[in-house]
Amino acid sequence: MSIVVWFTVALALWHFTIFVPDRFWQGIIGALLGCVIGGVISGAVIELAMGRGLSDTDILTFFTAVPGTLIGAYVVYWLGVRSGEGKVEH
Amino acid sequence: MGGRRRNIFVLLFVLGLVIVSAIVVVKKPTQLGLDLQGGIELTLQGRPTPQVKEVTSEAMDRSVDIIRSGCDRLGVSEIEVSRLGADQISVGIPGATSVGTATECATKPARLYFYDWQNNLLGPAKEIATDKGTQDPQQVLKAQRQKWIDADRPPTEGYNRQMMAQGAEPTMWEAVNIAAEQQPDEDCESCTSPNRYYLFEEKAPHDLISGPATAKEDLYFDDQGNPLPKEGIVKEVPQGTIVVSELPTDPGTGRTVDDPSQSGYFVLRDNPALSGSDIKDPQQQLDQFNQPNVTFDFTGKGRDSFQEITRTIAQEGQARAIGPVSPEEAAALSGNFAIVLDNQVVSKPIINFAENPDGIDGRTGAQISGGFDIKEAQNLAEYLQRGALPIDLKLTSQSQVSATLGQEALDQGVKALVIGLILVIIFLIVFYRFLGAVASLALLSYAVLFLALIKLIPITLTLPGIAGLVLTIGVAADSNIVIFERVKEEMRLGRSVASAITLGYRRGISTIIDANVVTLLTAFILFVLATSGIKGFAFTLGVGTLVSLLTAVVFTQSLLGLMSNTDFLRSGRGFSGIEGKERWHINFMGKAKYLFAISGVILLVGAGALTTNGLNFGIDFESGTRIEVSLEQDGVTSDELRAAVADVGLGDATIQAVDNKALGANAFQIQSETLDPSEIAKVEDILQDEFGVSQDGFNSTSVGPTFGASVAKSAGLAIFFSLILIAGYVAVRFGGKYTVPVLIAILHDFLIALGIYSLLGFEVSSATVAAFLTILGYSQYDTIIVFDRIRENEPKMPRATYSQIVNKSMSEVMTRSLVTSFSTMIGVIALLVFGGETLQAFAIAILVGVFSGTYSSLFIASPVLALWKEREPTFRRRYRQQMETQGYVPAFASDLEVAKTEDEEADADGVGAKATGGSAS
Repeated sequence: MSIVVWFTVALALWHFTIFVPDRFWQGIIGALLGCVIGGVISGAVIELAMGRGLSDTDILTFFTAVPGTLIGAYVVYWLGVRSGEGKVEH
Repeated sequence: MGGRRRNIFVLLFVLGLVIVSAIVVVKKPTQLGLDLQGGIELTLQGRPTPQVKEVTSEAMDRSVDIIRSGCDRLGVSEIEVSRLGADQISVGIPGATSVGTATECATKPARLYFYDWQNNLLGPAKEIATDKGTQDPQQVLKAQRQKWIDADRPPTEGYNRQMMAQGAEPTMWEAVNIAAEQQPDEDCESCTSPNRYYLFEEKAPHDLISGPATAKEDLYFDDQGNPLPKEGIVKEVPQGTIVVSELPTDPGTGRTVDDPSQSGYFVLRDNPALSGSDIKDPQQQLDQFNQPNVTFDFTGKGRDSFQEITRTIAQEGQARAIGPVSPEEAAALSGNFAIVLDNQVVSKPIINFAENPDGIDGRTGAQISGGFDIKEAQNLAEYLQRGALPIDLKLTSQSQVSATLGQEALDQGVKALVIGLILVIIFLIVFYRFLGAVASLALLSYAVLFLALIKLIPITLTLPGIAGLVLTIGVAADSNIVIFERVKEEMRLGRSVASAITLGYRRGISTIIDANVVTLLTAFILFVLATSGIKGFAFTLGVGTLVSLLTAVVFTQSLLGLMSNTDFLRSGRGFSGIEGKERWHINFMGKAKYLFAISGVILLVGAGALTTNGLNFGIDFESGTRIEVSLEQDGVTSDELRAAVADVGLGDATIQAVDNKALGANAFQIQSETLDPSEIAKVEDILQDEFGVSQDGFNSTSVGPTFGASVAKSAGLAIFFSLILIAGYVAVRFGGKYTVPVLIAILHDFLIALGIYSLLGFEVSSATVAAFLTILGYSQYDTIIVFDRIRENEPKMPRATYSQIVNKSMSEVMTRSLVTSFSTMIGVIALLVFGGETLQAFAIAILVGVFSGTYSSLFIASPVLALWKEREPTFRRRYRQQMETQGYVPAFASDLEVAKTEDEEADADGVGAKATGGSAS
């Protein structure tokens, strides 16, 4: 169940990347990948580092996905800016 | 054939079909599933054996045949046995009211093997009972005597002496210890069992807790899936060795002593000479002493094997004799041939070398005379008649539905179906006036045709099948809505009624096919992978979707085509909402940020609920037994009920009064750990004795842990393959870039549905999973409609940015999307309000899915597509050009330019615009 929670949190936070100028590597899809991969990795790493199992969930499970999601989004954004991608404005 | 004649022909054809179908509906009975007519349903899981190292399709088919023929012989009529996925078998026994005899035919497989006894004995028994040992038999016997004393089974008492004299071990623990020390025979192909595990109590005398089991983890669950204590000593008996038990024989009566505590235990090399598949035609007979026995013949292979093995035994007996011997002495020196049924020795006849020096010719068959009474002999013959199952079968779930509850469920389902149909028809007529009446006719034709198909094929109608039927009403109505909205659009553009109808159908049909193919793909995946009940849902959904194409497209097109030149239609009075331009003119892309934010918040709430509440999994996943009972006695409390059933271990069960019209005023639900059929029967007996059980007032469902795992695995596979198929189809039809937004929308729908289920605590059952999976496909209906229009508009708007194309497309199809979703929801709401408990579970999941699907199609998939496509060089250039020429990029491209392109296309199609009426501005 943990992975479902991390995935959902990451997907939810991804929705808010639309408020950021679209300079993500591969655009909004790149942002999605960054958020989801980051969220799931961070959830797993933090939970395991804290010695918790991956099956039971509590409110902490929710928050463990947040840093990874933000980092993932930032990395993809940084990659996009570096490669000069996307300067489309709406 | 001219258009008018073709239309008349099609109408007459459909009319003829409807009339014939109506006759079929009236004349032919409907084949009802167990949930609608009452009965018992079992699910068995196939497991490998050393002889059949994997559960093959052939082994499963053979098992299905054996169960079917075996149950027929036991007098269980109309049994429905079918394969379920790769390794499961579904057994339905309609009308069965007890989980006793009826279920035995499917759950008590006979595994019969014949062993050369002396040559296969291992351990002390080999030293004592054969001349093949290496130690002094007297010394070994002395040591054995001590074992029997230590096991509190004095050798001088009861039948102990008899068993000990044969070298038997006094307990299973002792026998398993000997067996565990044997060398494994990894390559053994004749072995009857793989490695087997036993769980014993830690304290002496180390009673057996569970086993033998072929998987270590199975030791911690009993046969019905109830957890067993984790403490204990696990012993592993390697492949190539088995432990069998034998009951003593009463010397006075010659009968087997039917008391398991008197058993002796032997360790055998697992090298059977014959198996149950080598015999045929077993019969219960009487021997020359009028004692019941079981006779049988051998197959060709069995006959040769039997002759060979008995010859070997006879020759070995002969070798033990020194000089001429009397028949009595010959009998004492002769070896035995053991007949082992389900790891218990049922007979051990002597192969007397004096009487059969060349073994026994199997042409005259053989007999098992184990000192049975007549009933035992009959049972053994019946089991043997079933033949040997090639694989192990484990009962993973069982469900018992009373006829009354089945009838009630059927009434509720039909009521929901009829009300849903009526509501959809009313909605269509109110919203579309004349076109709505045409669509209603199509819907009624659809209903009659589909009901006839259900009876003709025949499709076994189940509760989930009724849910599928209701959903297909929505699908059928949706097809009409897609076309009607398209016709109205064409009329708004100023086309004549005839040309609007022609163009509407021509342009609408590809959308309908795309949308329906996705639904069909999901139904197909569901049908292949789902459990039996859900298969009915998938099948009706699939067949219904196909039939709806005939009625909603072919029939209505011919009818409207035929009427298009009438004054009524030409005046436009038959249509509503054709005045002016499209109803919606919204800058969807401009609002995408807010719509995304709403979705994000919804998902965060869902994630919060999932992480704190989790999901409320039903017994399909968690395993257990649920009993619903209607008591005759008034005023019984839950505590009184609990006290009554405490003797069968239900003291801790969840017991609550339930409001169920079918069961009456004194209805209770008991939910507990998984009970076996005999325990369920015992509960029914207790309740009958204590409070009285109403006629047909007892229903039960039992699910073992492996069934839940199997449902979860099937669901995972179904999701995976559905996503692959949907993505593949969308990629082929629309292009690769359309696929990703579709997948995002699907994930969105799925996770929102999970979140809502978690938030509201709805139970997740296998029915819910099926509904979710259907939603994966069906919720894409709206996405396909929008994408189809985007794809159509793209070449028509050569200077528009992608956002402008999406804004225009979404505005054009907004009504369509909302109306199709609403018409589907009407039927589903009828299911929710008027359907029974099971249908409500479907309805909730479908309702959530349809709602979420509409939302994600419009406000997630399309904006994601636009944002992604905007990055393509073509659309960047257009964006730049508009900025340079206008200083800003408007939400909508020039309408004039678009209209002009459409007119050009219509001219190219040869469909002219009419002189009067609506006009393109």
